[in-house]
Amino acid sequence: MKLGKQKKMALETFLYTLPALLLVALVIYIPFVLSGFYSFTKWNGIAKEPELIGFGNFVKLFSGDKDFVQSLLFTGKYTLFFMIIANVLALELAVILTKKIKTANLLRGFFFIPYIMSMTIVGFIWKFIFSQGFAKLYEMSQLEVLNLSWLGNPDLAFYSIVFVGVWQSVGFYIVLYIAGLQAVPQDVQEAAIVDGANGVQKFFRVILPLLAPSITTCIFMSLTNSLKVFDIILALTKGGPGASTYSVTLNIYREAFQNNNYGYGAAKSLVFFLIILVLTQLVLRGFKSREVEL
Amino acid sequence: MKKKLLSIVLCIAMVSTMLIGCGSTATEEAPAEDAAEVVEEAPAEETTETADAEPVEINMFIASPEYADAINQLIAEYQTQFPNVTINYETTQNDYPTLLKAKLNAGECPDIFSSTSGKEIQTYLEYSYNIGSEPISESMSDAVKATMMSGEEVHGFAIKGNYFGVVYNKGIFEELGIEYPQTMSDLEAACEKISAAGYTPFTTGFAEWWVYKHVFQHFLDAAAGEGDVSELVSAFINGEAKMKDYPELYDDFFRFIDLTVKYGDAKPLETDLAAEEAALASGKVAMVCGQGAWIEADVLKINPDLKIGFDGYPVNDNADVCKVISGSDQALRVSKDSKVLTATLDFVNWWYTSDYGKAWFKDTAGVIPPVKEAAAPDFEIIKQGDAHVAAEGAGALAVTYSTDSFHQAFGETMQSYVAGTIDKDETCAQIEQKWVELEGAAQ
Repeated sequence: MKLGKQKKMALETFLYTLPALLLVALVIYIPFVLSGFYSFTKWNGIAKEPELIGFGNFVKLFSGDKDFVQSLLFTGKYTLFFMIIANVLALELAVILTKKIKTANLLRGFFFIPYIMSMTIVGFIWKFIFSQGFAKLYEMSQLEVLNLSWLGNPDLAFYSIVFVGVWQSVGFYIVLYIAGLQAVPQDVQEAAIVDGANGVQKFFRVILPLLAPSITTCIFMSLTNSLKVFDIILALTKGGPGASTYSVTLNIYREAFQNNNYGYGAAKSLVFFLIILVLTQLVLRGFKSREVEL
Repeated sequence: MKKKLLSIVLCIAMVSTMLIGCGSTATEEAPAEDAAEVVEEAPAEETTETADAEPVEINMFIASPEYADAINQLIAEYQTQFPNVTINYETTQNDYPTLLKAKLNAGECPDIFSSTSGKEIQTYLEYSYNIGSEPISESMSDAVKATMMSGEEVHGFAIKGNYFGVVYNKGIFEELGIEYPQTMSDLEAACEKISAAGYTPFTTGFAEWWVYKHVFQHFLDAAAGEGDVSELVSAFINGEAKMKDYPELYDDFFRFIDLTVKYGDAKPLETDLAAEEAALASGKVAMVCGQGAWIEADVLKINPDLKIGFDGYPVNDNADVCKVISGSDQALRVSKDSKVLTATLDFVNWWYTSDYGKAWFKDTAGVIPPVKEAAAPDFEIIKQGDAHVAAEGAGALAVTYSTDSFHQAFGETMQSYVAGTIDKDETCAQIEQKWVELEGAAQ
């Protein structure tokens, strides 16, 4: 029994990845295929036999589902706000934190801490701050801005969610940007200074283009994460007030598990999957093509 | 070379243990099904005596975590009397329906599970056992039983009876020398007086979607008048009824909501159950919206000196329709396919018929007993509720005729109305549409 070296390597690789592959298949691929099946059924998630109805769910979805469209718009708006604010803020903070500040390491830690907390807990903490915390602060300071109903007003609730979302995850993007900034070679920067570039020029003409791979990664991550926003909304507003903060994922969750339309929920999630797939591919391509090599 | 061999062996070992792990659960299922069949024949021979028998395990997965301690005591008592029975009790703080569905789809229906009563009795019908011919059904009070029926069959029982209405601070009303208002115009006058005296007339809880359904059912009862509320709700579900045709819904309900917003909390859409309880306990708020018997214990924990009053909602200018509502909105169900059906039935029968079980509702859980001829606990809301029911009768528990899918959408629509994003006609149109969309599909 003598295997060729390459064959053996291939077998080894296969065997090593098999346990992980099986687990991933079990919790991701198989449910994915199954929900594909359920999207062709009328099933309430309780009955023993789902009833096959072909493309019925998709027809219903594309012939106009006001709530779904509403949640798509909300998610789009959230994604836009989240991506821009999180990335600009993270990049700024990363630049500051790579400067020679005494407490830089400590500060990096502080910014990263919210990211290790679970989204649900962050949501509940902020829910408390927005309601009881702000009320107490208003009593002490009489600042009108603290007396606004940050979670009870449909317009303000959106900004509260964006704020908490950014607050929670900005640390993660800071770390990615710091890694990118540290990889920008010193000699190029020095050459730019010798050539007479000032600080602003150096940043926008030299550092930023060389940071492109980090930017691509961060944009990609923030795009997918904000499209899938769920737990933070569930903890903060539960989609309220008055259904004004429903993200697509929350809409799907409610359709499937609370309205007992499991089949229709599965159809929605498949459509949403395609939307994410196309959107991320487009954005990824766009940013990849702008990257420069040294 | 040796290392590589070792790693390959390890790899194979890992994979094979996984496969074995998966395999064994798969093989376990087969005998389980057999067992279910075997037990189904068993009840015929030994109907009551399972004591001294082999050890049995009953799996109980129910909502209502607030009674976890009391239920644990009940189970402990049962197990001292019947040592062969083990009851695995499990509960959850939220999202019970989702977890239950996961269990049902995994083929692990708990022997005792819960749902809401009324319409959801139908949703889980193919899983639940008809306890109509069991002693438990004899013992159940009529108001509770009415919400558990599917045709002639009884498909659930309750942990507690319940009272719905307006909880108010008697102290404030006495201090200002006014009676609790029975009509809408009296209510408006009372609100003015209360707020002039420096108190807040209402705390609303409008951040919670279920508060609206508790308020709304009183207006539905009034709208149905002498007729059957369930028929009125069915008419809405079939798209035959319109809110506009019922002044109790189109005018009075919104008049009431407007009043509570005008005379209510500063941030109504951020006020949840906890905030309502805190507000009432603070002694600064006169009336609480959308709650009932369940808040008394919590409120008294914060402020033991509070004088609590309880009455129905003023609906319009007819004082007769201002009634409290009683019944049970939660149902416990026995699984039809339970492997230990006899033991489970013995347990629930014991719960409702034994002396300990009957006294448990008052002494341990502190709830309104859902059984006939049992003493009620010493709570103001329950005592006053009993008195109201004796004097003027109780309204029907209209919330149970629609499922919570609808009620959640209803609550959200009402939140939009309170926030001012949609007007009354748009709100009514959306409510009518949701009723058809969500309930029509569930049937």
